[in-house]
Amino acid sequence: MALLETENLVKEFGGLVATDEVNLSVEEGERVSIIGPNGAGKSTLVNLITRRLDPTSGDIRFKGESIVGHDPHEVVQMGVSKSFQTASIFSDLTVRENAEIAALASEHGSFGFKLLEHRDSLTGVHQVARDTLDAVGLLDQADRQASELPYGDKRRLEIGIALAAEPDLLLMDEPTAGMSPEETEATVDLVEEVKRELGLTFVLIEHDMEIVFRISDRIVVLNRGQVIAEGTPDEIKGDAAVQEAYLGGVEL
Amino acid sequence: MSFHIEAITVLLNGLQQGAIYILLAVGLSIILGTLKFVNFAHGALYLIGTYAGLLIALEVNLTSGQLQAWGFGQLGLGLGYIPALLIVPFVVFVVGLAMERWVVEPFKNRPDTDQILVTFGLAIIVQELFRAFFGSSSLPFSQPSWAQGPPQVPFLAAIPISSWRYYVIGITAVLVLIVYLLVEFTDFGLVVRAGTRDPEMVELLGIRLSRPYIVVFGIGAALAGVAGVVGGPLNPVNPTIGNEILVPAFLTVVIGGVGSIAGAVLGGVLFGVTQAVLVATYSAWAQVGLYAIAAIVLLVRPQGLLGEAEVAP
Repeated sequence: MALLETENLVKEFGGLVATDEVNLSVEEGERVSIIGPNGAGKSTLVNLITRRLDPTSGDIRFKGESIVGHDPHEVVQMGVSKSFQTASIFSDLTVRENAEIAALASEHGSFGFKLLEHRDSLTGVHQVARDTLDAVGLLDQADRQASELPYGDKRRLEIGIALAAEPDLLLMDEPTAGMSPEETEATVDLVEEVKRELGLTFVLIEHDMEIVFRISDRIVVLNRGQVIAEGTPDEIKGDAAVQEAYLGGVEL
Repeated sequence: MSFHIEAITVLLNGLQQGAIYILLAVGLSIILGTLKFVNFAHGALYLIGTYAGLLIALEVNLTSGQLQAWGFGQLGLGLGYIPALLIVPFVVFVVGLAMERWVVEPFKNRPDTDQILVTFGLAIIVQELFRAFFGSSSLPFSQPSWAQGPPQVPFLAAIPISSWRYYVIGITAVLVLIVYLLVEFTDFGLVVRAGTRDPEMVELLGIRLSRPYIVVFGIGAALAGVAGVVGGPLNPVNPTIGNEILVPAFLTVVIGGVGSIAGAVLGGVLFGVTQAVLVATYSAWAQVGLYAIAAIVLLVRPQGLLGEAEVAP
């Protein structure tokens, strides 16, 4: 059984078809990249999976269960986490607090009086937050205010926030956008490390072809809302339709 | 009376008046900062706190109003001030929860003007209900007999200020400290602070903000209730006190900086002391002085003394 499946997923905005009968299947432990030119429907697809948008028709299943009727926060608690396109961290809070709030969310999403627990008590939440910061290499900066971090570290913290929710599936929307080559390198290493240690399943939306070909097990190519090709990096590199629609002119 | 005794008296009176503003402003400020809700009915919560405190602490003889007409001229439990101080916060907390559920929630995503209109209307309704039931005339709410004179300790005994006013300052300090610790050092506070900055992201992470928010409103309401109990015996008690205290409380929030507990404290102290100094010197100018301070602060620092440079989105 696939971890994540979409079945004939359609999203129309007025007359515009953003995703057109998309059938996607992601196996557990797989790293799948979704690529495509601007307006291909990549972000719409992610927003449908995270339940930010309602599909016009079709179904989305996670662990075999349809999630179309669930709220966004319920989908998070089921194990779908998203690292965002724009830097989204709580910049006024410390690095540690950023990780804690994400850990809190997965621990007891809609909580009662556990809220009043003192934050320094060593509950599961604080252990998870600590482990997460350790995993993304920010533990030594835990007490800094998040806004003080250099750009690359902010993106790492963002990935940390997504990881602290202890997801089964991590959606990453352009994780290296705006990064310097060194920061990009560090982030790619991080993704590989996280994959190795946590065995996470990734769905990556990315423009940088070099990264896509390096870290994907499988690539799905979208164009005008439709899947036009699907396969291993090598297969995609050799695919004529992909060359035509998307990679034309790109040196590979 | 020597000058320095007089100066200290004025200062302490100012701190005490400031304490009442602080209790109201902290609640208003955290509600405005987190829920983004403008609560013009905060004075009504103060009013409810005062009357509830009076009726729990003492027995009163009503001289007018519907209750008197119905034969309930003598009203009140007469349990004393300490039980009133302990019970009223819970009563007003529950009133706050109900208000959040049925007034704030439906108007949370409406424009500020709608929120102001509905809460101001609610404040007037509450005021007029109290007028109808308890009458317009002022009710006697004296300071407790054990707190009427100056405290019998060296130095303070020479200053003509009742112990009750010290209690007001002390109770305010403790409550504000508790709220501060709650916001800074608990999981609840972490969620509230993160929600203040980016509610959408908090929800995306999988945390529902509705429950922390209703608690924030309840805490703000409870603080207003306490302000009513401790402030009640210092002023005449009648149905208009709620709306009279609303404006200085709001100005305290605005000059302190929205969402800032420290700002509310600073603003309250500044307001209370200025008011006391003007009352002691040029009493006709006391009210004008408050608005003048507010105007100057807002001209120089539009975000308030301790507010963020940018209002959070």
